[in-house]
Amino acid sequence: MLEVITRGTGEFKPPDPDGFREYVRDHKERRLVSKLVTEREAVSRFVSDGDYLAYDLNIASRGPGSLFREIIRQKKKDLWVMAKFTWTDVSLLIAGGCVSKVDVGWMEFGPILNRAVKDGSVKLHEWSNGALAYRLLAGSLGVPYLPMRYLGGTDTFAQSGAILTEDPYTHKPVCAVPALNPDVALIHAHQADMYGNTRIFGAGVSPVEMAMASRKVIISAEEIVDPIEIRKQPQRTTIPYYFVDAVVHAPFGSYPGSVQGLYTADLEQWLAFAAAGAMGKTDEYLENWVYSVSSHQEMLEKRVGEAKMQALRDADTLKEGYYD
Amino acid sequence: MTDTEKTVTENPTLSFTDTEATVCHISRMVEEDKLYFVQMAGAPLMALLMGKRLHAPNTGYVVEEGAVCPDPEFPLPRMMLGSSGAHFRAVQWTSMLMVDSHAALGFMDYGLLAALQVDRFGNFNSTFIGGTYEQPERRFGGPGGANEIASQCWRTIIMTKLQKRKFVEKCDFVSSPGYFDGTPGARERAGLPAGTGPWRIVTAEATFGFDDATHEMRLDAIAPWTTVDEVLEQMEFRPLIAQELDVMQPPTDDELKMIRSEIDPSGLSTGKGDWITIDAVTGKKIA
Repeated sequence: MLEVITRGTGEFKPPDPDGFREYVRDHKERRLVSKLVTEREAVSRFVSDGDYLAYDLNIASRGPGSLFREIIRQKKKDLWVMAKFTWTDVSLLIAGGCVSKVDVGWMEFGPILNRAVKDGSVKLHEWSNGALAYRLLAGSLGVPYLPMRYLGGTDTFAQSGAILTEDPYTHKPVCAVPALNPDVALIHAHQADMYGNTRIFGAGVSPVEMAMASRKVIISAEEIVDPIEIRKQPQRTTIPYYFVDAVVHAPFGSYPGSVQGLYTADLEQWLAFAAAGAMGKTDEYLENWVYSVSSHQEMLEKRVGEAKMQALRDADTLKEGYYD
Repeated sequence: MTDTEKTVTENPTLSFTDTEATVCHISRMVEEDKLYFVQMAGAPLMALLMGKRLHAPNTGYVVEEGAVCPDPEFPLPRMMLGSSGAHFRAVQWTSMLMVDSHAALGFMDYGLLAALQVDRFGNFNSTFIGGTYEQPERRFGGPGGANEIASQCWRTIIMTKLQKRKFVEKCDFVSSPGYFDGTPGARERAGLPAGTGPWRIVTAEATFGFDDATHEMRLDAIAPWTTVDEVLEQMEFRPLIAQELDVMQPPTDDELKMIRSEIDPSGLSTGKGDWITIDAVTGKKIA
């Protein structure tokens, strides 16, 4: 039994490694079956009101943009969002009425977030980017917590669910954070096969630990590849199929963000969202980009257009290292 | 004195933002053959890349999203966050957990980041300003990676602006650690690695260090266009003052050209802020 020196007051879901194992035993698909679905089907089947939602990266870079919009389109409610190395995506989901709690690492701030915090519609809990990734690491290892060398002593610690304890080996104080096993993870990737074998090229935050730690995993991929391609180059696999519940073919799925080696971010689009937030016209923004189109594909065709997509592809001139 | 002022106005002048000046100051501090952990994209990363470009080509750095020692091409891309341009010619593309571990193991000589508020012991805030935690006047993005960087790198360099609302007696929220209350061993008692802590606080007008014994902030250097009294007026608390105060070299014409053409051509990070115009010869401010 660890003796607790200090304990943060933040709310968190109690770690339950055995409960997670039982979920895996009873619900995770082991068969090699096609998991290809549309955004609509993936979100309606695997994102539930009240879920703890995690995603890798953000709406600036290789984030699951098409899945964010589908969650808003389906008016999912009461999500507890992991804001680990995020951007305006947290505000977007708040504007869509989808969020009740946020675990903060970093998020782009602004009027939407400020209003939600002030009127109490969204409750924040403090961690840091690294602490949230570390909690996922614990979740991915099947252990209830992990010790680490930061967070202690700060107000961030005090508003988190971390503890300061005496390390039983060195007898020095050490911080520990509870494992996090999200209900659902959204991960945007360069390539996946129909079974869910997933390839991400380039740096990332914690896609592997997130996929391993989460009960339900939705992969959106720029490209669907033949399963034999995966087996020919197994070194390139980031996430193997049995962690994955749904595979969505989502070209330009990160839009308005970038995908390294494929296309750059659409800066004008972010500015439009920021301007809409500042002018209180977020509803118009959501109507135009989410509600008035039935799917990601329709948004690309009617709101973005081939010329814009080609320009964003052309602007990403640095391909080296991604598809070699 | 009047004569000097007359001469001053006849010399060439230099105009720059306070952010540009801070970027120049930090770029000169960049130490060759060391490893830096830089938080996100923006002015701190620009300062490091400028130092690498000018005098420290073999200095490496990691960023939170898992790029190890990238070597981006100049001019830098407008959007650095997570872009292929920002990660170009890295030695490894990995994950946040991996680079955080590099810091935990003691490989990161310096952490480099920005702060909203800092107190006399180098504790700093990036969470909210004004009001209470539950009802903040202005909520900000949170510590991001600053907590792990400031906890685990050997020396932390914090970039901010010299303003009374930033150099505060008490931070509205301590997002990331300095020396806490300054007492010996305070960081270790909180579980942080020994021998770490804030090292420099850099602003356009003044550079601060910390007293080895008391861990109090100490004014080490000021820009030629300001005075100690003017610096102290911009701080809520009174820092220690070094016995021999250094003079910070103002930005040079070449440095400013580099910032505006190669480091931050769009001016998104460095073009904003208060403009300062100085006499290029004397370094004194021109009203």
